[in-house]
Amino acid sequence: MILEIKDLMKSFPKKKGEMVAIADFDLDVEEGEFVCILGPSGCGKTTILRIIAGLESQTRGRILLNGKEISGPGSDRGMVFQEFALFPWRTVRRNVEFGLELKGVPPEERRERTQKFIELVGLNGFEDYHPYQLSGGMKQRVGIARALANEPAILLMDEPFGALDAQTRNLMQKELLRIWSETRKTVIFITHSVDEALFLADRIVVMTARPSEIGQIYEIKWPRPRDRASPEFAALRKQILEQLESMVKIEE
Amino acid sequence: MSEEESRGLDEALELLNKPLIKNSIVTIISLAMFVATWWVVAILADLVYLPTPPNVMEALIDSFANEDPNLGVTMWQNIWSSLQRFGLGFALAFLVAIPLGLAMGYSKIFDLLAKPVVEVFRPIPPIAWVPFFIAIFFYFWGPIMVIFIGVLFPLLSNIYFGVKSVEPILLDAARTQGASRFQIFTKVVFPYTIPFLMTGIRIGMGIGWMCIVAAEMIGGVGGGIGFYINLQAGLGLYTNMFAGMIVIAVLGLLTTGIMQYLENVTNRRMGIR
Repeated sequence: MILEIKDLMKSFPKKKGEMVAIADFDLDVEEGEFVCILGPSGCGKTTILRIIAGLESQTRGRILLNGKEISGPGSDRGMVFQEFALFPWRTVRRNVEFGLELKGVPPEERRERTQKFIELVGLNGFEDYHPYQLSGGMKQRVGIARALANEPAILLMDEPFGALDAQTRNLMQKELLRIWSETRKTVIFITHSVDEALFLADRIVVMTARPSEIGQIYEIKWPRPRDRASPEFAALRKQILEQLESMVKIEE
Repeated sequence: MSEEESRGLDEALELLNKPLIKNSIVTIISLAMFVATWWVVAILADLVYLPTPPNVMEALIDSFANEDPNLGVTMWQNIWSSLQRFGLGFALAFLVAIPLGLAMGYSKIFDLLAKPVVEVFRPIPPIAWVPFFIAIFFYFWGPIMVIFIGVLFPLLSNIYFGVKSVEPILLDAARTQGASRFQIFTKVVFPYTIPFLMTGIRIGMGIGWMCIVAAEMIGGVGGGIGFYINLQAGLGLYTNMFAGMIVIAVLGLLTTGIMQYLENVTNRRMGIR
């Protein structure tokens, strides 16, 4: 078990009492597993990821990474952001090198160690470009390479393809699966797209509307690459979509 | 018209449509119209203190070529005196504004401590400091301190604004990469503020330039362009006075032009299109 989330709860103080954002969230993630957390917007799925990353603190509960309780952010958890969050003044190479630079790795070694990740995400030839010179899909490739170059134990992805157009999004999903199969990283992937979750995940955790709890967990055992047009894909998509819709109605 | 001639004309017209050439032509026309108006008004008004463009031009050339009989220095030396004050005042402002602006932007406590003082001093026009500064710093450092005050606030507020506008997501990204608070400052906050700093420098230069002339006019001694203008006006040598004003205009244009260029270069280097 690489990641154990035990009885996670997050609430925000309000004028009267408190607003519970996440309640009773329990999840164990296996080494090398690809887990999607799927839920309606505003259900607090990003908050869960930010707590795992150490960017926010939980109100209650524990998170263990390789058996050790985490507190605060650290380079053992790599994060990929929906908004890319690249440093605009740094070139592709220097964005990817950022984590190693912080650790004081000398420039020569830095370059050597990051080059394979630049190649892994298919950005060779673009090392000296600045982010503004890249398309959205390429920016997110940099984001993924930057997260991986730090050699984290786990990769946290917060709706990483949410800002991309549909075509690029499909391409990036395939690319991510290729990268994942080459690195065997454990991935926790946040999305509100049922289609995306079904295409990517070993396991889909469907969240309920606020206060967010785990609604249902689906094990997806289909081989990859998955065919979005297959009957079982369509059937499960319909089932999960209906589940999500019923929750949104309750909220209204 | 022969075919060749018409082709030549077409090419000439096409050249006229190129933006750079088109804009330069318009600029020249604009300046020519201004000089012509000045000339006509000067002749019609026929006032001692409004000389014509050729007279001013003559005085301008003379001021560079020969020492001024009343001052004993050439225009070059006046420019040098002013630039020296300008440089010193600017450097001082830079040394104070950068740490202060970064600290105020980054540390909440420091911000709360420094802000009331800054806000009290900011509305005082730099020129209002001239008598005080001349009284305590005398004629060399006095004007320099006026420039210091003039440049300080635009620099300070731009750096402060820069730190404040760092995108939180970039801080998050740095933290998940394992950055310490100090590393976040040196590797994210500081580089992020550089383009803002450049804007501050450009605006500060404009204000500093106005300050120097005003400071020298009120309390200048031993040269400087402001001092030169004031002296010539006092002596009734209005052509010389206008020559001094033209020197200020040209130097001001040059400094802002150079700064604009440096700002663009920096922005490109910092990944801002």
